[in-house]
Amino acid sequence: MRRREFGATLLAASGLASAAMAQSSGSVRDSALVGELEGPTLVSDPARRPQRFAEAPMLAEQVRAGRLPPVEQRLPQDLMVVQPLRSVGRYGGTWRRGFIGPGDSENGNRLMSADKPLFFDKTGTQIVPCLCKGYEVSADGKRTTVFLRKGMRWSDGTPHTADDWVFWFEDLYKNPDLVPAPAPEMSADGKPGRVEKVDETTVVFIFEAANYLFPYLLAGDTLVGGGQTRQQSDGRAYSVYAPMHYLKQFLPKYSSAEALNAQARAAGFTTWVQLFRNKSDWRLNRDLPTLAAWRMVQPITGQQWVLERNPYFYAVDTEGNQLPYIDRIQMTLAENPEVVNLRAIAGDYDYQERFIDLGKLPILLENRQRSRYRVHLDPGFNGGDTVLFPSLTYTEDKEIGALLADARFRRALSLGIDREQLNEVFWLGLGTPGSVIPDRIIPESPGEEWRTKWSTHEPAQANRLLDSVGLTRKDREGFRLRRDNGQRLRIEIAVAQTLSPTWPQQAEMIVQHWRQIGIAADVKVMERSLALTRALNDQHQIFMWTNNGTESLYLYPRYALPVDPTAGVMGNAHALWFASNGQRGTAPTEPEMKRAFDLMRAAAGQQEAERIKTAQEVWKIIVEQQWGIGIVGLSPAFMGVRVVSERLENVPARTGVSQHIRTPWGARPEQWYFKS
Amino acid sequence: MPPMHDALRSPPMRCLLLKDAFRHAPDRTGGAGRDTNAHAYLMLSYLLQRLGLALVTCLFISALTFLIIRLPPGDFVDAYIANLTASGSSVSHEQAEAMRREYGLDQPVLVQYARWMGRVLQGDFGVSMVWRRPVTEVIGDRLWLTMVVSLAALFLTWAIALPIGIYSAVRQYSIGDYIFTTLGFIGLAIPNFLLALILMYLGFRYLGLNVGGLFSPDYVQAPWSWARVWDLIKHLPLPAAVLALAGTAQLIRIMRANLLDELRRPYVVTARAKGLSEMRAILKYPVRAALNPFASSVAYLFPYLVSGSIVVSLVLGLPTVGPLLLQALVAQDMFLAGAIVLLLGVMTVIGTLISDILLIWIDPRIRLEGRA
Repeated sequence: MRRREFGATLLAASGLASAAMAQSSGSVRDSALVGELEGPTLVSDPARRPQRFAEAPMLAEQVRAGRLPPVEQRLPQDLMVVQPLRSVGRYGGTWRRGFIGPGDSENGNRLMSADKPLFFDKTGTQIVPCLCKGYEVSADGKRTTVFLRKGMRWSDGTPHTADDWVFWFEDLYKNPDLVPAPAPEMSADGKPGRVEKVDETTVVFIFEAANYLFPYLLAGDTLVGGGQTRQQSDGRAYSVYAPMHYLKQFLPKYSSAEALNAQARAAGFTTWVQLFRNKSDWRLNRDLPTLAAWRMVQPITGQQWVLERNPYFYAVDTEGNQLPYIDRIQMTLAENPEVVNLRAIAGDYDYQERFIDLGKLPILLENRQRSRYRVHLDPGFNGGDTVLFPSLTYTEDKEIGALLADARFRRALSLGIDREQLNEVFWLGLGTPGSVIPDRIIPESPGEEWRTKWSTHEPAQANRLLDSVGLTRKDREGFRLRRDNGQRLRIEIAVAQTLSPTWPQQAEMIVQHWRQIGIAADVKVMERSLALTRALNDQHQIFMWTNNGTESLYLYPRYALPVDPTAGVMGNAHALWFASNGQRGTAPTEPEMKRAFDLMRAAAGQQEAERIKTAQEVWKIIVEQQWGIGIVGLSPAFMGVRVVSERLENVPARTGVSQHIRTPWGARPEQWYFKS
Repeated sequence: MPPMHDALRSPPMRCLLLKDAFRHAPDRTGGAGRDTNAHAYLMLSYLLQRLGLALVTCLFISALTFLIIRLPPGDFVDAYIANLTASGSSVSHEQAEAMRREYGLDQPVLVQYARWMGRVLQGDFGVSMVWRRPVTEVIGDRLWLTMVVSLAALFLTWAIALPIGIYSAVRQYSIGDYIFTTLGFIGLAIPNFLLALILMYLGFRYLGLNVGGLFSPDYVQAPWSWARVWDLIKHLPLPAAVLALAGTAQLIRIMRANLLDELRRPYVVTARAKGLSEMRAILKYPVRAALNPFASSVAYLFPYLVSGSIVVSLVLGLPTVGPLLLQALVAQDMFLAGAIVLLLGVMTVIGTLISDILLIWIDPRIRLEGRA
């Protein structure tokens, strides 16, 4: 903590020149640092399909040496043709980047997102082709058919076919040793779906109820849509396909359990399951075939995590040059995020958005010329970088539990917060104060009037609300007294030490604001895993977290409503109740919550237009009930401060920052290139 | 000649004389030889006793380590889930339970410890849960670099502190003494992570140095070559200076105080009276005597050599063992953390043992006490 404070003073001293910029509240979107959302386009017109192909010099060399077939034979017939953002690039170069250790899997996972079944456009709302060239949903919504690219190959040259998809379903997903819990995404209306092969390049997902949402799940960052690299690493075996020809040898079904266990022990593991998880993890096993643009050549467990171009990648530019342009991605271990920031400032990275701290902006700008980089700010789409989540099912103190479950009390807390001040101090004025709803660019957003609803600073109104709850008696210092025993009411804000370095200070500032409405609050700063474990058990009164990712209500509802029992922030007993169809957990007492649950359940069976209306309805209820008290959002705080080398071309002026756009992959690094 | 007599009685002189006696023991008379044999026997039993104690201590350290790692609520799986949650994923209850079974975390702590110790005794430290590589490999990668940094810092500390310490003792209360003392105290008072940050910033701002780490990006993964060694040497001054400066003040003060004690002794006066050159009169005996306390600090040097300074390594982004230990503790990676703490414990025990032996060798008084 002390070190961070020092960093802040250092910045304050050196960043005086930039102070004017920092105070230009509200004008951030007009500043030169925020560009227009843009990205390369995919060419679907068959007439514009290139007829002649070219490849990177490092691959041409291997072709000449006879170690690799020619480029025409490596590319699928069903190519992905990318119209580069500004210009056709040139091959070569190493993209230097930073990561912070073996737990930083997402850093690389995101770069490998070309293996996702489907993907989104630059706004994160429209489905576009990715690994699959297309999809089709039957009229009744029960069958989703996906079309693979004909002639596509794994990075070792083996064809990728529908068999890889069925293999995943039959041999990985259905094996309880590998997948102990079914993916909620793989069922509709509580009944499990299945995967079938139609022909070599066609796969169908069959559900017993209408599931119009499924293609979106295949495009989002979900258990089925995450792609092989994302969902078959870190001990998971989800996603929807797997390299059958390679992984077969590590399954008892195709080998013998004894032989595999012996092999596992020889490798230092105890069971074949551990061996399998190791072999199917792209971060650890460089022999694992992949479909992404790069493949791993140095694992995450060393000083450098290195990726190199996949000679069989399925995309070309409009002139027939096989992508990617950049040869290698070299991620160098930094012991902590501070070091990442320092190295970025020193110009040691070519493109870095991860771990770049918004608070460092003045010093980042100051060193632009010297270290030859550009800085882009990408405001996020999520409504709250910081959100206060009152636990709706808090039972450790009955009086406080009852208050937190009371919408009037939550609204009062929300109206008692001076968001403008928080924005100025902690977001350098670059965020947007308001409720939890996503950016207006997201069709599911209910409209800007809901950004300010119950989310402005109105101490007088807050006081009236608190009086109406029955918290009328105050002590000599002006703090309200509990209704049960007449003691001073004290509320706790739990803060996890992660994601945002300034969360503890933000919470302290909110505590000061609440003094004006007679609410005494304490900040409890906790180590990350303790805070999250307590959140799962509903042991926090109010938990400070973010709703980053929940810009998409259906793909990532966990920070909008208590529906996901694996990620409790706002009353996990309700989430358990929802996920188990009322078998376990606690039924919601607020009728509005029941209605929100019903709307969410109905959404999967609705067509797009209707589904969007439902989402808007849900967001309105969420704001009205203040299940999450949004503080400041739509800011570049999470992965939205980009440091980009001046030499790097075709980088969008603004890119979507969202879980589902897989930042920075949404900016399509395959078509970036280094100027000579 | 009473002064000479006094000088003989002073520890350094006696020490030298006794050492001579020890070395030439066989040439002496039988009585002296028996005494030496008995002495050697006592030494041996003393050493064995210390060795036995050392082993027991190591065992205690390992058990304590394991228990302490398990003390905070939650386990590796909880920490793992927290990490995933922070990066946007999540883990279902069933999956978490399956993971606990895989790692044996569902067993009682004692069973887990017994299993771990059983494997450790066979030389198998297990696979790190976070890094998913054998613990020995994970530590091995960083051990050599850690020792290089620590040794560089150590030598720098001594190279700065000893001359200054001697100077301030000999020229006590001179301007130079005051200046060095002030600087030393400032060095002691500034937390070294702060110093690291300041030096790093200045190094980057005005010298264009590479920030953080021990290698330039091009050499991080490169096989060892002269170019890589040179790259390492180029990166060493900053961490070595930061680590050294903090230790210097302390050493200067110890050296100064010890030497002042010695300088006032009559044997120094005698030496001067006999016409020894000032240089020789100071360096030959008093300085050597003043060095005695350093032998006892060897015990702390050993663990320091393998772990380095955790905070400074973190700030400077050094790939040493220190940050590894911190990460392992945060992630509750018991095998990795356990192995490192065990290593540190063993190093401390070995260091103590060696410093004991060194002291016996240097200072006969300790040996005499041992006999009594």
